[in-house]
Amino acid sequence: MSPRIYLDYCATTPVHHSVQEAMLRALDVDFGNPSSMHWAGKDARQLIDQSRADVAFGIGCQPSEIVFTSGATEADNLALFGTLHLFPPNQAHLITSAIEHHAILHTAQHLEREGYSVTYLPADEHGLVNPEDVRRAIRPETKLISIMYVNNEVGSIQPILEIGRIAREHHVRFHTDAVQAIGLFNIDVDDLNVDLLSLSAHKIYGPKGIGALFVRAGTELTPMIVGGPQEHLLRAGTENVPGIAGLGAAMNLVRQHRTGERVRLLGLRKYLIEGLQAIGPAVIVNGSEGDVGPHVLSMSFIGADAEMMLIRLNGEGIAVSLGSACNSKSIEPSHVLTAMKLPQEQIASTLRFSLGMPTTKDEIDTLLDVVTRVLPRVTVQ
Amino acid sequence: MSKFKVCVVGGHCSNRLMIVAEQLTEFFEKQGIDCQVITHGVAYQGSFAPRSNLILQLLPAFTEEEVGVPVINIKPLIGDPAHPATIEKILNQVQAYYAV
Repeated sequence: MSPRIYLDYCATTPVHHSVQEAMLRALDVDFGNPSSMHWAGKDARQLIDQSRADVAFGIGCQPSEIVFTSGATEADNLALFGTLHLFPPNQAHLITSAIEHHAILHTAQHLEREGYSVTYLPADEHGLVNPEDVRRAIRPETKLISIMYVNNEVGSIQPILEIGRIAREHHVRFHTDAVQAIGLFNIDVDDLNVDLLSLSAHKIYGPKGIGALFVRAGTELTPMIVGGPQEHLLRAGTENVPGIAGLGAAMNLVRQHRTGERVRLLGLRKYLIEGLQAIGPAVIVNGSEGDVGPHVLSMSFIGADAEMMLIRLNGEGIAVSLGSACNSKSIEPSHVLTAMKLPQEQIASTLRFSLGMPTTKDEIDTLLDVVTRVLPRVTVQ
Repeated sequence: MSKFKVCVVGGHCSNRLMIVAEQLTEFFEKQGIDCQVITHGVAYQGSFAPRSNLILQLLPAFTEEEVGVPVINIKPLIGDPAHPATIEKILNQVQAYYAV
């Protein structure tokens, strides 16, 4: 049987044992409803408070500025809907980019259908948004700028510092989806000048179904889920205590390891690029080779069918992901690679490799052996 | 002579595979060619193609050496169901079979 090698950490990560332990405790000992006034409720409340403090510490904010959500998609939705819905459609404008995650893009499109105005900024061939484009797009009625931190397909690190400064200068609220950054970058929301920041547990060795939105003190939002008074009246419903415990533990884990992991994964990424490019001249890195998310690598194997390559790699026990998606009538190219204006042939031959804490050099060596063997068999005749 | 059997091979997208297979079935009917069209999703059904006289593949799953029958790349049919060069290659194989 082939060894199983997981190289799709941008999609999700395995739940770390320290996180599992924290969650098991919440499922077992701290089972109470945090809103209850007795000991069981107080134990659960204490656990939530501790996790909130852990998450806050991980991004340099106050615990009271953390709102737990069901994940980053809900956090993104709350940031965008919650801001724009404070205003009538004809009085609010959103600036975002063409390379955002669908959690942002589809929310923005929904807002457009409601009558709000949205500007989608382009990205260059490296997958970067130009801060000057942000400045130029600001209008008197601009209420929110939402630009992701690290792109999930090509790893480009957006100029968040600069965009945050521009947003502050113009008194426009600034949101960033930091899902792919939180595990590897030391984040301080004050340094970044962000008012809202989304994060997810399952990208940082935590469980699925839990995330958070940082909401800077004094930032008003319209809630999307109403009912009880949970999460500072911004997200009603009995809290997902085991999930929250897991998110807190996951944040503690990555906070301790992210500096070292960033350096280690950058080295592995470089090794992987060199190894893949040694296989043939038609192997191209998409995005920047330099200042990137060290865990993301988008590679095009010109002339190869990426889907067949993925199937063959999977057959050898290696899990990676595609740079395109298919629907019933066509092969739908990645919106990120399309926004970067890459040729169709390059997009159709793209695979994404993403690395994580368990990734080893031995795994990369195995991958390189398998790609060398598989590549000639997946070339389109 | 047994009925000509065509295997349409696709990847993860079963919708696309079925659509192309249906289009080919209609095409063969219109041409008066008596043949059976079957489908095989290589992502789910493995890397052994069912027995057939001709493999029409949407992705480079099989080679002629592996399967011992002609293999044609039909990816161009996704965008253009009447793609002339691809249709011609298919008809040539069918005619060669019935000519024997």
